[in-house]
Amino acid sequence: MLELLLLIIGGVAAGAFGALLGLGGGVLIVPLLTLGFGLPFREAVGASLVCVIVTSSAAASVYLQRDVANLRLGMTLEMFTAMAALAGGLIAFMLPDRVLAVMFAALLLYVALTMARAREARGAAEAGGARNGAGAPQDDGRAADADAERETAATEPAADGGLAASLSGPGYRVRNLGRGVLGSLLAGIVSALFGVGGGIVKVPVMNLLMGVPMRVATATSNLMIGVTASAGGLIYLFRGGIDPYVAAPTAVGVFVGASLASRLSDRVDLRVLRLLFIAVLVVTAAQMALRGIG
Amino acid sequence: MNDGRLERSIGLVLGAGAIVSVCLLAVGLAGMGVAHVGPLDRPFPPFDLNRLGSDLSALKPAGFLWLGLLAVILTPSVRVLASLFGFAAAGERRMVAVAAIVLTAICLSAALGAGG
Repeated sequence: MLELLLLIIGGVAAGAFGALLGLGGGVLIVPLLTLGFGLPFREAVGASLVCVIVTSSAAASVYLQRDVANLRLGMTLEMFTAMAALAGGLIAFMLPDRVLAVMFAALLLYVALTMARAREARGAAEAGGARNGAGAPQDDGRAADADAERETAATEPAADGGLAASLSGPGYRVRNLGRGVLGSLLAGIVSALFGVGGGIVKVPVMNLLMGVPMRVATATSNLMIGVTASAGGLIYLFRGGIDPYVAAPTAVGVFVGASLASRLSDRVDLRVLRLLFIAVLVVTAAQMALRGIG
Repeated sequence: MNDGRLERSIGLVLGAGAIVSVCLLAVGLAGMGVAHVGPLDRPFPPFDLNRLGSDLSALKPAGFLWLGLLAVILTPSVRVLASLFGFAAAGERRMVAVAAIVLTAICLSAALGAGG
């Protein structure tokens, strides 16, 4: 019974952290389940995919009703994230747990580095200095929005203009669809291999390369995450990679945590939280790497 | 159907799917508590569509947990299906094709997962 409560509480914490920092929570759930509860890596990924779908469905529901997410762009890129997730899910069952753990450690370091760089960029902007690369999903979006909008205005329509134009939204024009496809393929594989949403790849690609404003990119990524994780999740489901006793409490906890976070976001000092999170990610990456190597 | 209506309808589908899934999972969790089943108990009940009905009628926690997990995993597919019908009604053939390809990828995942 205590373990059940701990799983729910862990899910609440992961959901709240993830929502406050603009991440899906998958980067926290897999370490929680593997390092905290001793689960095999693949079972942790299966449970994490379930959590990612729940939060995606809930968040995307709101984004669609507020008309923030770009449904057409999201569905077009989903064709590629879903196919890649299918491949990623199959690959995940071929690789040893240890290899996956080391690769996941590298992903955690990448996320930590991206967050630290976004923080530096924001600090420079606040100090009146030059802005650079504020494209991480956890960014508040204003700097990157301005960058994307300026670049979009300055860029001629791409060669894929017909399709890209039909996917554009009010105030922005989608470009570089080919790069978006490549980013989506990468995001799909990462999602199915590591049980994350893939927003850490999709949001910067859409915002910085495709000219989609940050708010729309984040909302559209959220919409896509459900289908991506679902394609990977079905492989885990049918191959015995989802433990209902673990996935259910964690998913309920994540849902509650993410819902609470949306009400707490105004009262939390995100700078402190972000620093703490970066430290947690680095320590977790080291533990994951040790687990993989040792 | 115009854009706004389609997107709002799909948003409702997703929201309803999330709430129904979480409610089913919560019922399953309550069942685990009543039956003194721990989350780390092994082996965990395998996913078996043929047993789902009997587990549910016997009010076994595993039945509700698996139904909830299925609802979670299938909610995005239902969203894609709803989009397909919405785009078809709006005469957007290209988006109908896109939705059909996404659904095909999801079905392929299920088939490959079940086949492995």
